[in-house]
Amino acid sequence: MGARDSSTFVLISPIGKRVLLVFFAVFLVFLYLPTILLVIFSFNDSTVAAFPLDGFTLRWYELSWQTGEIRQSLSASLKVAVASAAIATLLALLGSYPLARRNVRFRPLMSALLLVPLVVPTVVVAVSLLTMFQRGAIPIGLGLPSIMIGHVIIALPFAVLILLPRIASIDRRLEEAASDLGANGLQTFRFVLLPLIFPSIISAFMIAFVFSIDEVVIASFLSSEQPTYPVYLYSGLKFPEKTQALIPVATIMILISFLLAFGAEAIRRYGERKLEGR
Amino acid sequence: MATVADKPRLPRKRSRRERRNDGGSALSTYGLLAPTLLVLAAFFLLPLYYIFLFSVALKRFSPTEALAALNGELNGFSGELWGNLVSWNVDVAVLGLDFAIPAVLIGVVLIVLLVLTVAGGRLSERHGTWIVGIAFALLLMPFLTIPAGNSLLRIMQFTSEGIQLNLFFKSVTMAMTSSVIAVIVAIPVAYFLAFCVQRSKYTWLLIVIAPFLTSYLLRVFAWKVILGDQGLINSGLMTIGIIDEPLTFLIYSQFTVMVVLTYAWVPFICLPIFLAFETIDRRLLEASMDLGATRWQAFRKITLPIAAPGVVAAFLFVFIPSIGEYVTPTLVGGVDGTMFGQNLASQFVGGSFNWQYGSAMALFLMGVVLILVFATSRFLRAGGGGL
Repeated sequence: MGARDSSTFVLISPIGKRVLLVFFAVFLVFLYLPTILLVIFSFNDSTVAAFPLDGFTLRWYELSWQTGEIRQSLSASLKVAVASAAIATLLALLGSYPLARRNVRFRPLMSALLLVPLVVPTVVVAVSLLTMFQRGAIPIGLGLPSIMIGHVIIALPFAVLILLPRIASIDRRLEEAASDLGANGLQTFRFVLLPLIFPSIISAFMIAFVFSIDEVVIASFLSSEQPTYPVYLYSGLKFPEKTQALIPVATIMILISFLLAFGAEAIRRYGERKLEGR
Repeated sequence: MATVADKPRLPRKRSRRERRNDGGSALSTYGLLAPTLLVLAAFFLLPLYYIFLFSVALKRFSPTEALAALNGELNGFSGELWGNLVSWNVDVAVLGLDFAIPAVLIGVVLIVLLVLTVAGGRLSERHGTWIVGIAFALLLMPFLTIPAGNSLLRIMQFTSEGIQLNLFFKSVTMAMTSSVIAVIVAIPVAYFLAFCVQRSKYTWLLIVIAPFLTSYLLRVFAWKVILGDQGLINSGLMTIGIIDEPLTFLIYSQFTVMVVLTYAWVPFICLPIFLAFETIDRRLLEASMDLGATRWQAFRKITLPIAAPGVVAAFLFVFIPSIGEYVTPTLVGGVDGTMFGQNLASQFVGGSFNWQYGSAMALFLMGVVLILVFATSRFLRAGGGGL
């Protein structure tokens, strides 16, 4: 990385740099303004989220804590997200390993098939699953399991995009050495490859989880009586009288996502520093 | 966040002989692949096959003939739904002048332009960039809106007597405009992060991306609070005294939908564009400037071509979800901001209940997106990025 540090030449004029800095600052305000407003309105003592503000209150937090539907929908979402993220990661791992390591016929076609759900609009996946679950060959009906299946299909390409390049980037001589020393295929995978790709497995799981917990299109097409959290939120946002009780939960969820994102980054850095220190 | 060191390295090409010595039998190889492929076949390809059957009326879903007739279902093979969707004539208005053109001709012209953008680089070494650029501009032009005063201005506009096709053109316009604006906003941000920030670059990158990780619905809702009649902008302007009553075009309009779509996707696409800038070898830029290139020349001849695949991938990352969008227009679009995805959804779960027609609409949408991805895949492969 020596090349990056040798910035003795000036790539951008001082004025240009200043313009970019101002642009960046304005951009950050634009980016964070909506979130900040939500936090403000979660404490606003008024039934509608509108200006001018009406004084400080905690009653919306109380109300949303007491609303059972919110808790139920959160737990439904959590179940769907954990299950779909686990399955998507497992399937991505099973699919990526042979594609990266073994001699597979029609390799380009296979990897294209694994990635193609990424370029199909979600609403198309949703309606096609809806028709099949209701009237097709796999009539399991609607509900949380159906939503979970839909999320697996959409999250799979993301997990593959994380895992496939990672497996391909690992020196295969390590595995060859292990098998020369008498390890069987499973042992090689368990003791050589798995520890090396473990961080990527975690991040594939995280991406799939974050996707699923916020997904509303597939979930609203395929849900029956028990909505997931985004579906509940979506229906709540369409009716202003339900909205205020949702804002506090929303604020807390946003804080949790920020903590998770920055926590993951801190862990990654800690890991890197540890590797460098060795 | 991936660092330069994590950059995907493709497996090196190996000789046939070496390949044959691959550890593991064919049985275990395909045994490992089988579950994933089976799941995709059962829950991705099979459902698509179902909506294909619906769209050509080879399958009906009502339990009895009578109910089918009541639902307006077609029985037996028919192209009627497709004919209804892709109607014959399309009006093209260029700066106020109207032309009626058969839809087929539009399709042919678009496909020729797409081929040009794909093959452009190969046509000629010298003019390839220009050909690609002009073809792209022509492709984009009918679908770009420029806000002008209280209304939106289009240089060129497609309309059709078919309601759905008309709505589709409008949705493409909205999605295209927000994706282009998102890319234009993201490029300077990514450039700033990649080239101007010296310390803790990745923390800043994370600060930019973090809002994307929070709930999409809530960010849409927050915009309602900003742009609404009693929102931040309107009440602010009224307090100062610039306006007397709320600006109505701010909420429940095409404008709102485009603002929200741009806002929602900008943080996410900063990532691919940043990575594209970050992987450029600084020595190339240094060398070019040693040889007398100006900063602008260095940017145009080196930075931009190398970063192009990342930029194209970023564009697709916004465009694909936006074109089928139905949540955002439902929440903030009102009547003016209605999109194709909403009509498509209402064929299945609400209002106009017609699975067969809805299936044709869904496949049409998917087809257009896949053609676009195919046309740009050359750029993406060149950069090894994303798809």
